[in-house]
Amino acid sequence: MGRVAELERRQSAMELHVINSIQQSLDNNQPLSFQAVASLRSLIINPATPDSTLSSVLDALTRSLQLNRDPVFLHHAVKLLSDLASHRPHLSPFALDLLRSDSLFSSASPRLVGESLSVLLSLASIGNDMDAARFVSLCLGPSVSVRQCLLRNAEKLVFRESVLLAVFLGFTRDPYPYVRKEALDGLVKLCKNGDFDDRDVIEGCYCRAVELLRDAENYVRSAAVRAVCEWGRLLVICSEDMNKQDSSDAVFIQLGCMVRDMSLDVRLEAFEALGKIGLVSEDILLQTLSKKVLGINKDKAYKPIEGLDISVSAVAGAYIHGLEDEFSEVRMSACYSLRTLTVFSLRFACEALNLMMDMLNDDSTVIRLQALDTIHHMATSDHLKVEKIHIHRFLSVLVDSSSVIRSMTRKILKLAKLPQFELFKLCIDGLLGNLEIYPQDEADVLSALFHFGRNHGKFTVHIIEEVAPEMEPASGGKLSFDSTRVAAFLVLAISAPLSHEKDVSAIPPRIFSYAVTWLGRISYGLSDIMNQEKLLAYLSECSRSSTISLADFKINEALLTVEGDASIPLCSKVDSPVSMPFWKDSGGISDYHHQEFLSLGKSAAHAEYELGEHSELRKYVNLIFKKVKDSWSLVELGCTTEACKGIRACKEEVASFTTESPGSFGAVAFTLQYLQVIEMLAKVWGHLRATKMLNPNGVGKLELLFAKLDRRLREISNRFIGLSKGEELQILDLVLVACLLRLSKVEICCCNAAMKLLSSTVAHVEYLHKEGSIEPSNFVTEVKKSLHDADSSSSSSSCQPLLFKKLLDSFSLQQFVLYGTPRSVHAELAVPGNDSENPLPFIPGIPASIPLAITLHNVLTESRLWVRISMGEESTQFVFLDLNLIRNKKRSINVVREFTFVAPFYRTPKAVSFTVRASLGLECFRENVDRVKVFGGPKCELTYLCPEKEIFLCKSTECKSKSAFT
Amino acid sequence: MAIDCLVLGAGQEVGKSCMVVSINGKRIMFDCGMHMGYTDSRRYPDFSLISKTGDFDNALTCVIVTHFHLDHIGALPYFTEVCGYKGPIYMTYPTKALAPLMLEDYRKNMDRRGEDEQFTSDHIAECMKKVIPVNLKQTVQVDKDLQIRAYYAGHVIGAAMFYAKVGDAAMVYTGDYNMTPDRHLGAAQIDRLQLDLLITESTYATTIRDSRYGREREFLKAVHNCVAAGGKVLIPTFALGRAQELCILLEDYWERMNLKVPIYFSAGLTIQANMYYKMLINWTSQKIKETYATHNAFDFKNVRNFDRSLINAPGPCVLFATPGMIVGGFSLEVFMQWAPSENNLVTLPGYCVAGTIGHKLMSGKPTKIDLDKDTQINVRCQIHQLSFSPHTDAKGIMDLVKFLSPKHAILVHGEKPKMATLKERIQSELGIQCYCPANNETVTIPSTHYVKADASGTFIRSCLNPNFKFSTCSSTDKSYLDSNKSKAVSRLSVSDDRATEGILVVEKGKKAKVIHQDEFLHMLGEKKHEIQFAYCFPMHMARTEDLSSTSHMLCSFDKCTLISRLSMILSDELSEGNILDLGEELQVESFRVSVCSSDNCPHRLSSSLQNGSESVFFCCHWSVADEKLAWKIISIMKNSTL
Repeated sequence: MGRVAELERRQSAMELHVINSIQQSLDNNQPLSFQAVASLRSLIINPATPDSTLSSVLDALTRSLQLNRDPVFLHHAVKLLSDLASHRPHLSPFALDLLRSDSLFSSASPRLVGESLSVLLSLASIGNDMDAARFVSLCLGPSVSVRQCLLRNAEKLVFRESVLLAVFLGFTRDPYPYVRKEALDGLVKLCKNGDFDDRDVIEGCYCRAVELLRDAENYVRSAAVRAVCEWGRLLVICSEDMNKQDSSDAVFIQLGCMVRDMSLDVRLEAFEALGKIGLVSEDILLQTLSKKVLGINKDKAYKPIEGLDISVSAVAGAYIHGLEDEFSEVRMSACYSLRTLTVFSLRFACEALNLMMDMLNDDSTVIRLQALDTIHHMATSDHLKVEKIHIHRFLSVLVDSSSVIRSMTRKILKLAKLPQFELFKLCIDGLLGNLEIYPQDEADVLSALFHFGRNHGKFTVHIIEEVAPEMEPASGGKLSFDSTRVAAFLVLAISAPLSHEKDVSAIPPRIFSYAVTWLGRISYGLSDIMNQEKLLAYLSECSRSSTISLADFKINEALLTVEGDASIPLCSKVDSPVSMPFWKDSGGISDYHHQEFLSLGKSAAHAEYELGEHSELRKYVNLIFKKVKDSWSLVELGCTTEACKGIRACKEEVASFTTESPGSFGAVAFTLQYLQVIEMLAKVWGHLRATKMLNPNGVGKLELLFAKLDRRLREISNRFIGLSKGEELQILDLVLVACLLRLSKVEICCCNAAMKLLSSTVAHVEYLHKEGSIEPSNFVTEVKKSLHDADSSSSSSSCQPLLFKKLLDSFSLQQFVLYGTPRSVHAELAVPGNDSENPLPFIPGIPASIPLAITLHNVLTESRLWVRISMGEESTQFVFLDLNLIRNKKRSINVVREFTFVAPFYRTPKAVSFTVRASLGLECFRENVDRVKVFGGPKCELTYLCPEKEIFLCKSTECKSKSAFT
Repeated sequence: MAIDCLVLGAGQEVGKSCMVVSINGKRIMFDCGMHMGYTDSRRYPDFSLISKTGDFDNALTCVIVTHFHLDHIGALPYFTEVCGYKGPIYMTYPTKALAPLMLEDYRKNMDRRGEDEQFTSDHIAECMKKVIPVNLKQTVQVDKDLQIRAYYAGHVIGAAMFYAKVGDAAMVYTGDYNMTPDRHLGAAQIDRLQLDLLITESTYATTIRDSRYGREREFLKAVHNCVAAGGKVLIPTFALGRAQELCILLEDYWERMNLKVPIYFSAGLTIQANMYYKMLINWTSQKIKETYATHNAFDFKNVRNFDRSLINAPGPCVLFATPGMIVGGFSLEVFMQWAPSENNLVTLPGYCVAGTIGHKLMSGKPTKIDLDKDTQINVRCQIHQLSFSPHTDAKGIMDLVKFLSPKHAILVHGEKPKMATLKERIQSELGIQCYCPANNETVTIPSTHYVKADASGTFIRSCLNPNFKFSTCSSTDKSYLDSNKSKAVSRLSVSDDRATEGILVVEKGKKAKVIHQDEFLHMLGEKKHEIQFAYCFPMHMARTEDLSSTSHMLCSFDKCTLISRLSMILSDELSEGNILDLGEELQVESFRVSVCSSDNCPHRLSSSLQNGSESVFFCCHWSVADEKLAWKIISIMKNSTL
């Protein structure tokens, strides 16, 4: 103790000494010596220095700044102040004030200005210090480094777009290449965030970027590629509908010129950019796959803008070059951008498939995997046409030494639909070969066989007929149990009845009974489709019944309800996209996927995996979100159908996730809900913002879509608790978009309500931002700004659809990232013992009592619950459910409450019997109801927590007599 | 100043590449190759054209050799040791390492065939002592004025393109190059340089090849099918280049497919060459360089040495054997043993010299080959022809020329008719002057010459500060002319005039100097003159009561009304220009118009008013730049009523 005190004493003595000597020299009007500066620095850095000392240090610095104009000293002073501000946050306002002072940031020396500017920027505290005029004059000054720094950070200094545009565009002429690069980067950012509709401006920026594609410096060229891409897309948007196709072709060709650049970075950028241009003519796409100029493309010149003529020959063989590039990054990028383009043309996809099949021979596993992924993508978008010349190459991948590659290949096979029996047989042989060489793949191979067989019912029956003798028990009456081959054929056989073919009855029922003996292995393989009991039930059903087509129907239904209330399609049409980026985690070598598969499929049995499993699940879910984000770009390009298809595939994928481990239910339900929201949003978006053509569907359809979208949004924002602020904000973004979409369409817009919702949502968003100190996204800022503008400019709440349309441009779907574990708010409603045979009694005209057995999950005590009871279309009644009155003995994590509530139903009709529908609704506070209130019911819109339950009532006398009768 | 290019070889032919370029007083010989097709004096370039006296040391500044192929280096020992050139020779490190192997091999073959020996082993060794090795992108100062720099060319290991610069004139000689990578070498890579001249090879001047993946797939399929059926594969190749590429390809495939079939290398050059390759990792492709730390791609795991006793061993195998084209030696020996079985496979390179067995196998499908009078081989094996080539195709040449955009291009190392086609394409599509000279011809092209000038302080200061201007440039779209409607296109463009504001002044007896345009008048002691047009004319007016009373005594308020009315008319009719209402005056660009109140305005053509009460005079001024605009406005004004 004594020693510590001694040390402290010494230190404070030293501090005193330093401060005193500095004060002294300042009093004598002497500049600070470097030694003094060094000791000041040590004081600042030392965390033990008390604040009082530091404030005197600040004073000393302030005084010496007034005294000393030596540039070297000023440089040190900047450094000291930046240290001070970063080490002592509570003192930083003083330090920043000093930095902004006349002697530093506002001084005439560009070097000092630059230094203090970068310090201020690094401390993220520059805002009002810079007005546009000062910004421009500093930019125009002779110091190149200040210019570069300012241009790079212009975003943070937030000026009007016009100022930024002028500065950026001007500096693309700068003789210093780094300044040119920053200017181009600035233009790109401006284009992404900004809102331009002046075609002259867009053309000007585009042309300037095109000019810089020929710059001598690599980094300028790669920045120019980005700029051409972004402004080119804007150019396409602002072209007249007639010219849209031509301009987007022209932009594509312009970018295609850069794929033969000698610089790696430029090539990378070029391929990335090519993938971003959506609508490209088939002719041009095909040209990118042929180094020879195609006949149709000869002499075809495109001029998006006067003076910029480009010929299609520039893109000749772009992808051929990209895919055989020396650098795997470029090959990867080319492969990826090819993937996005295959959606647009079947012919292009077919041609590209040739290349992809060749890519399966690449020396890098990552590239091979990406090629497979591209093929998989073609398959999901129905653009995969496998031909005989491909099949050998493709099947040889099944014996690849990398397990990730093999499993990806099988994934594609699960989706394949082959036209000829010959090809089918080759694939079966390939899978059998896979099984033979790599017995560890058994589970997945069986699953692949099942899906594959199911897609080719007829062929399957045919092949089973061929191999039936092989499957018969040997003479001893025993099946050859060691033969995995037999297991494979059995799986194939049992898949046949589930195909949609009609004549599958040719499979002898006894085969199914053979399969029963393999139950363990088969069900292990099919664990993603059905569990062991269901499989057994299915097999016994099939082996019993003589006509399988009948069984087919029943089983299909039976299987649908296998895993709880979430409906699981039998064959998830698109198989898991989650395995796609496996190479990232595993390096593509280990049997990673296999293990994953195990833990996912058998989670219930292995309780010890639960924790890990849960974070695994989150990983998968987040991958789904990534996929959704990718699909959104398709929506923006106008390919709504394709996007919806992708989203639906994701839904199927999510539905197959196990929900047995604690906490996973909420996450899965949330993901499903999110997907539904996005799907509806995509549909509405497609209706309203179709670029390709006008949608033939009328307003009515749109209304319906909107209603659905609103419901889904309400559900997602109210039915989940435990979301972080960031997550909540992302959902609110979607609510905003929905509002804007509604507002952008005059015909359907109920302006007042939508505006009200919009402003209340914005307010809530703002609140969340403040609460969580989260940077608002650009989109939200824009919405806020224009909402404010609209409020101030016109007091009349007239609709400005154009304004809202413009706002929508600034929206881009962020990737949702799930960090926490959302818990799903839901309820179960039952009337014990009530069905059409056993109705509840009632006396007409007198209120009837309905006993409801209610189970609430995760419902907070403060939430307002209503029981909604409706009879037919016309009569609806709400009963308030006061949660405070309901006592719950046990409080578990999941907060499950079970109780019985007797709800009165007042308006019993004069009828012998009737049915009512009851459901439980949660009041959403943010959304006010505008419509006429019913029965003093809820003030706000309800989100329903459970499906409607039908309740049967019967006149009491009737009832009695009936019960007596029975 | 001019660049003279004397073509000593490979002009309109393939073989004995040799080019002497005189550039700003320096003379460089690029490549010193021999022609494999001749055994007489045509085998070597005609060195006498360089110097009649044979004093090559003074006639040449240096010799640069791009890579170790004999048609690029074959004549070098002859030139140095027999002809007596003693100056510097530049080549890359791998070329210097591998060239003696090639030369020695060639010399031995000559020996064997009993031809006259042109040079000895000692000659080769002595010649190599004169070589100065260079690295990629290393700038070598040959002498005070001449700089050279090597760039990666692909093609074979160590191949380089050479950049040479003397003063302001710069050029690139490509040698042989490949624009697409293969399994062991990268693609050619060069910076965007300012060039006066590009000399490029044009082996495939008209061919466009498809993706190399297809070729690889065919090859792998053929080999895999053969070994899967238990056959033996013979791959006759030369020691350097192709052998390594194919071996890497097979090795990778073997790994992936888990194949266990042995791959053999016949003894001889190949093993030694592999050793060199292992050391020259820096010169290979990106992939090999990247994986080098964990695994040297030339450390072939599955490859073993071949023993003669294995020729007839049972079971499948793959054998790389020298020499290529089955011209004799070990590959012939194995071929004789394996050819009779249809299970076996022989792969042949894309090109085989006439007379070799390889050539016979390629032309048709012979069942019997007569080796000599007594020996006949039954050929029943499968034949697979490889179409790999380390030369760039026509598109690659175009891509390179386009990327470098030199002022002139010369094509060498190709076949005459095809070169002519390519030359046309370069001239028409890229607008670059192009030549394809024959052997012993000289092409002269002009070169860049810069003048050094001083700059005035004002000019330098004005250059320091950015000075960009925005303008809306207008142009008339010609394509709309036929539709009888010319559409004006305007676009925002930006220009930075700081360099163009300078004026180069060359005074007698003084150094050239650049001054700022503002200083110019001061320097000349002159004043600036501007031409202005002026025109005063009456404009028709609608009869209005309040104006009719005093037509020539318009007060300033009425003037303003008139001007604002005029402004409205103009803004309706005029599509271009920015109309500024300055109260009593209207301005469009430099065009200014105001109401003329003086009766004897000097700009008035006719002073007589037809109807004083209905017209008012407007006086216009404009500068020469806006003449068109001015007349347009005037015609609008004349045709409308206020």
